Amino acid sequence: MRFLVGYTATPAGADALALGVRLARAPGSVLDVVLVLNGGERATLTPADPGYDRLLLDTAEGWLDEARALVPAGISVHTHLEHADSFTQGLLAAAARLEANLIVVGAATHGLLGRFAIGSVAGGLLHSSPVPVALAPEGTRVMGTDEPIGRVTCAVGTKPGADGLLTAGIRLARTVDAPLRLVSLVAIDRPGADAEAIQLAADPAQSVLDYATEHLMDGLDVTASVASGGSIEHAVRGLHWDAAEVCLVGSSRLAQPNRLFLGSIAAKMLRELPVPLIVVPRDFIETVKE
Amino acid sequence: MTQELNASAAVDQQNGGISKKGLSAGSVGLVGAVIIGISCIAPAYTLTGALGPTVAEVGLQLPAIFVAGFIPMLLVALGYRELNKAMPDSGTSFTWATRAFGPWIGWMAGWGLIAATVVVLSNLAGIAVDFFYLMLSQIFGNSAEIAGLAGNPFINVGTCLVFILIATWISYRDMQTTQKVQYWLVGFQLIVLVGFGIMAFVHIANGSAFDPTPVSLSWFDPFAVTSFSAFAAGLSLSIFIFWGWDVTLTMSEETKGSRSTPGRAATLTVIIVMVLYLFVAIAAISFAGVGGVGVGLGNPDIQGNVFFALAGPALGPFAVLMSIAVLSSSAASLQSTFVSPARTLLAMGHYGALPPAYAKVSPRFFTPGYATIASAIVAAGFYTIMRFVSEDVLWDTITTLGMMICFYYGLTAFACVWYFRRQWFATVRNAFFTFVFPLVGGIILTVLFCTTLIDSMDPNYGSGSEIFGLGLVFVLGMAILLIGVVIMLVQSRVRPAFFRGETLSLAAPRYGEHEE
Repeated sequence: MRFLVGYTATPAGADALALGVRLARAPGSVLDVVLVLNGGERATLTPADPGYDRLLLDTAEGWLDEARALVPAGISVHTHLEHADSFTQGLLAAAARLEANLIVVGAATHGLLGRFAIGSVAGGLLHSSPVPVALAPEGTRVMGTDEPIGRVTCAVGTKPGADGLLTAGIRLARTVDAPLRLVSLVAIDRPGADAEAIQLAADPAQSVLDYATEHLMDGLDVTASVASGGSIEHAVRGLHWDAAEVCLVGSSRLAQPNRLFLGSIAAKMLRELPVPLIVVPRDFIETVKE
Repeated sequence: MTQELNASAAVDQQNGGISKKGLSAGSVGLVGAVIIGISCIAPAYTLTGALGPTVAEVGLQLPAIFVAGFIPMLLVALGYRELNKAMPDSGTSFTWATRAFGPWIGWMAGWGLIAATVVVLSNLAGIAVDFFYLMLSQIFGNSAEIAGLAGNPFINVGTCLVFILIATWISYRDMQTTQKVQYWLVGFQLIVLVGFGIMAFVHIANGSAFDPTPVSLSWFDPFAVTSFSAFAAGLSLSIFIFWGWDVTLTMSEETKGSRSTPGRAATLTVIIVMVLYLFVAIAAISFAGVGGVGVGLGNPDIQGNVFFALAGPALGPFAVLMSIAVLSSSAASLQSTFVSPARTLLAMGHYGALPPAYAKVSPRFFTPGYATIASAIVAAGFYTIMRFVSEDVLWDTITTLGMMICFYYGLTAFACVWYFRRQWFATVRNAFFTFVFPLVGGIILTVLFCTTLIDSMDPNYGSGSEIFGLGLVFVLGMAILLIGVVIMLVQSRVRPAFFRGETLSLAAPRYGEHEE
């Protein structure tokens, strides 16, 4: 797979790079580190200054060199300087040109209670990316780049869009050679709900998981579980999360086909999740190649 | 020698490669370039700030001085363009003067540029404050109380600091308005100014003008100015009104279309601005006269900000439009002006003339973040001190500004002459553009600088603010330059590499040496 890291010389950029490297440790992967500079047709009131532009270019190349130095030997890495009106546009253009399978960005700006909030950059990307977007939470860089992806969790639901999500999960689990865990999140939105009600709500979710486990897997280490709680947040918190895993969620049904849009459940998970989140576009179709 | 060559190799490179990579290539057409030019000059702001102080010096000969002020600006801008072509560098005057005259003079040229832009930043914000409260009072039924709030030094300084903070934020994050908004802002500014002129003449025709003064040919006669001192002072002020125009001349790399686009854009810009200045200046004098009472342009109480006083009588119910025009003009100018000191500070940090922190580029917004904030803090501090020290802060800052512009533009002009000394007579074009034009421009600016400096020692100079029995403008000018010298001496101890010429070396290329 081809992993594209949207890099900035900031802590968030280092988070993205660290996650990108861990993903790209998989054999046959390519890591593209992309830095987006302002440019193109953007209107400015401030007169352009070729001298400053050149200094900026030198600086940016220096940043990319620093990023490259952080990537351990043995990983196929390329750095790119992209000129675009915005970070999002630059990443999408680069992703299209390089045929990237996954875009990695640092999601964090100021997370609430130690978890992450979507920065404007990640937010813009989530509204328009045709390929899955991985959000590296604040502090991903602390874990370093050596830890391989320990598990791929796929938060499947009963709603449309799950097929593409499953496919992406399988593909990623195969690529990084990690076990796949399918979870279904169930929120019982009633105070004092008894065990029976929970079971009732969880049943359809369990059947989806059973179906998925039976029909889609071959030769993969797959587990499936249903997580329930008073709210999605509770359900997410109730699950065991491994520090080295990543979690895939589907984008909202409100999104245009093939575009990402963070649904309410995904947004809630994002707030709660202690691990990197990968948002897969609705109707994302990718053949599972061997 | 090898080391020296390496040290300055970056400056000598032609930058053709960059624009091809698409940074700013082809982003500006003829109209866009003219818009940027007018926006940088900010005619509404410039006129309200400079009309009064200039009338105070030259009286009725204001139009003549406006035309004359363009000549040294043009001469220096032509040299500026040559330097920009040979050494495109964000340090502009600092880098060029260092390469021509060495680190000490180069440092002071950079300092002059920073000082001038910081002074203008504080003046811009000050004018914006006045018009902000005027606009509020116009919106809420002409309450004199609200307009008077600008006169309270604490409210005034507080508001000004907020404006500077907002401008810094915008500059730091590199937020840009869309081209459409820019066209509207500039178009609106021009329409309001022309409207002001027309309304002034309507009042004159109706006999309802404040002090109708018939237009006379003598207004265009620079020799009718009473003394050389007044002439020099007026000239240094009117250089300020064209400040920013040089930008259109150096936009050569960014303009699309034919090679003649930048030249045409610069010409068109200056024609538009010149016609506008003359029209508004003539209208203002005809309408209000140069008398010392009421809204007469000779009244010291209104001279720091004339449209503040004139908008009401001339435009009546539409006076609020003038407030909006000046506010938007100031805002646009704040944005484009903020870039200059920040980029020069960045270059000075980059070449080791200042602490390396100044060379930091924000990794998120790609702006010279540290330098931007530093300029903002100094501008805010400068305005605050001036507001409490000076009787007429806007007037004094504009006069000081004129002097600072003369200082660093003069040095830049001479840097052009000296840097190209081995190729003056290589072609006829070179003889004019690298020798005659900048030399004459530099001499004019030097004369203006010295005359202003000497005259401003008189405590009655300009607005009449004084400190220790000396004119405030003189004290200010000297203090700014001396502080520069002190910081330079400190830096030369802490960071000797730059001052030994190790980071930026002297040069005098022969003709064709830097051609690709």
